[in-house]
Amino acid sequence: MDLHCELLLEEYDAQLPVIERLEKVVKATLKDALDRNGIQVTAVKTRIKTRDSLAGKLALKGSKYHTLSDITDILGARVITFYTDDVDRLAAMAEKLFDIDWENSVDKRRLHDTDSFGYNSLHYICRLPKTVIDDPDLNAIRFELQLRTTLQHAWASINHDIGYKTGVEIPRDYLRRINRLAGILEMADDEFSRIRSEITDYRRRVQQLVQNGQLSEVQLDGDTFRSYLRARPFEALNRRIAALNQAEIQEVPLDNYLGVFIALGCKTLGDIDQLKKKCEEDAYTLARHQLGNTDLDIIASSIGIQNICIVWILTQGGGKIGLTRLFNALNGENEQNSLLADMTYEQALGLAFMR
Amino acid sequence: MTTEIKENGNQLIAVFNGRLDTAAAVQAAEDVKPLLEAQNKEIILECEALDYISSSGLRIFLGIRKEAAAHGSKVIVRNINSNIRQVFVMTGFISLFEIE
Repeated sequence: MDLHCELLLEEYDAQLPVIERLEKVVKATLKDALDRNGIQVTAVKTRIKTRDSLAGKLALKGSKYHTLSDITDILGARVITFYTDDVDRLAAMAEKLFDIDWENSVDKRRLHDTDSFGYNSLHYICRLPKTVIDDPDLNAIRFELQLRTTLQHAWASINHDIGYKTGVEIPRDYLRRINRLAGILEMADDEFSRIRSEITDYRRRVQQLVQNGQLSEVQLDGDTFRSYLRARPFEALNRRIAALNQAEIQEVPLDNYLGVFIALGCKTLGDIDQLKKKCEEDAYTLARHQLGNTDLDIIASSIGIQNICIVWILTQGGGKIGLTRLFNALNGENEQNSLLADMTYEQALGLAFMR
Repeated sequence: MTTEIKENGNQLIAVFNGRLDTAAAVQAAEDVKPLLEAQNKEIILECEALDYISSSGLRIFLGIRKEAAAHGSKVIVRNINSNIRQVFVMTGFISLFEIE
């Protein structure tokens, strides 16, 4: 190694404590911005180039660099996203957060010809502006920010591993196969993004149908059931029941009723709504019969939906077996459920809907 | 009314004995405090000798459940009698607890 490179390594040793401080600030700044913008990512990583790695780089092309500040990747930060669209969102975020050295930044996604595939990643060379931290030492150092998807990261990591491990020039056929995989992963990335967009659109459409009351057009599944519950369809019944004893209503999740409604034969949200309309009054009567003579002043928000299911099962002739199945679905299978079913059945026997 | 807390491996067992009514709830709430900070435990509410539960008692059970969920613990209500079972169904609490 020549004297020039040795001087650069000495400069590296002297700068290292500042670079370590910079690393912490950059990582914290990125994480904070991701939280504020509500962007979920796979990982935020930073690394400082080791002395050995820098020495290797200088041995290869040391004459290219006049001072240490000419080397822009001594500190590297990498954010790995789930979706390809998020790389662009993150780019916009980084442009606001950092001062970008546009001359040295490169979008490697755009470098490929129409008929070539390979490394895809967005590289920004950045500085911390004074708006983030007013510290001349930190503001002066450039660092590299890489933005890529999880699949791009997987390809780059494996490609790097293969390239380094073999230690010999890789035959054309293997290179072609590796690059072919980059093309497949690019398609997969696009497909994941499209799926996310379409699911978001689907949820919006369902929400709209729920708001418009067009429930019979909405197929029943986990997503649509949650949308339905967001409209709080059982709240009025719960309030009526709570009013019996001026009870407090304890909010509880109702998602576990999806399986119950499917087992009861509901195929659309409209089916649930019909069932609710048919049974609501009797569900209230059942609650009044049960709670009216007690001083219980706390109920769970599942009471309305639970009593609707009980009434439906009993009016459809499901009897004790049907109720046991209901409690099994809600409470997990155990011996107590048949006792609960017996007791609920006995309580309901005297009520008008049982005739 | 008494409440005794026992430890058995990864389980914390609260043994309730008597009537958990409004009058007894203040002391019971104090007695179950060790359960509220339990991390990653199986909390058993043993009710074989519990004769009665009021709204105040349900609130204590609910408080244990909330803290357990926050601390990665799980709550199982065990051996409730038919009156208490009835209370759990009437209030909708049946879907809140695992009952054995």
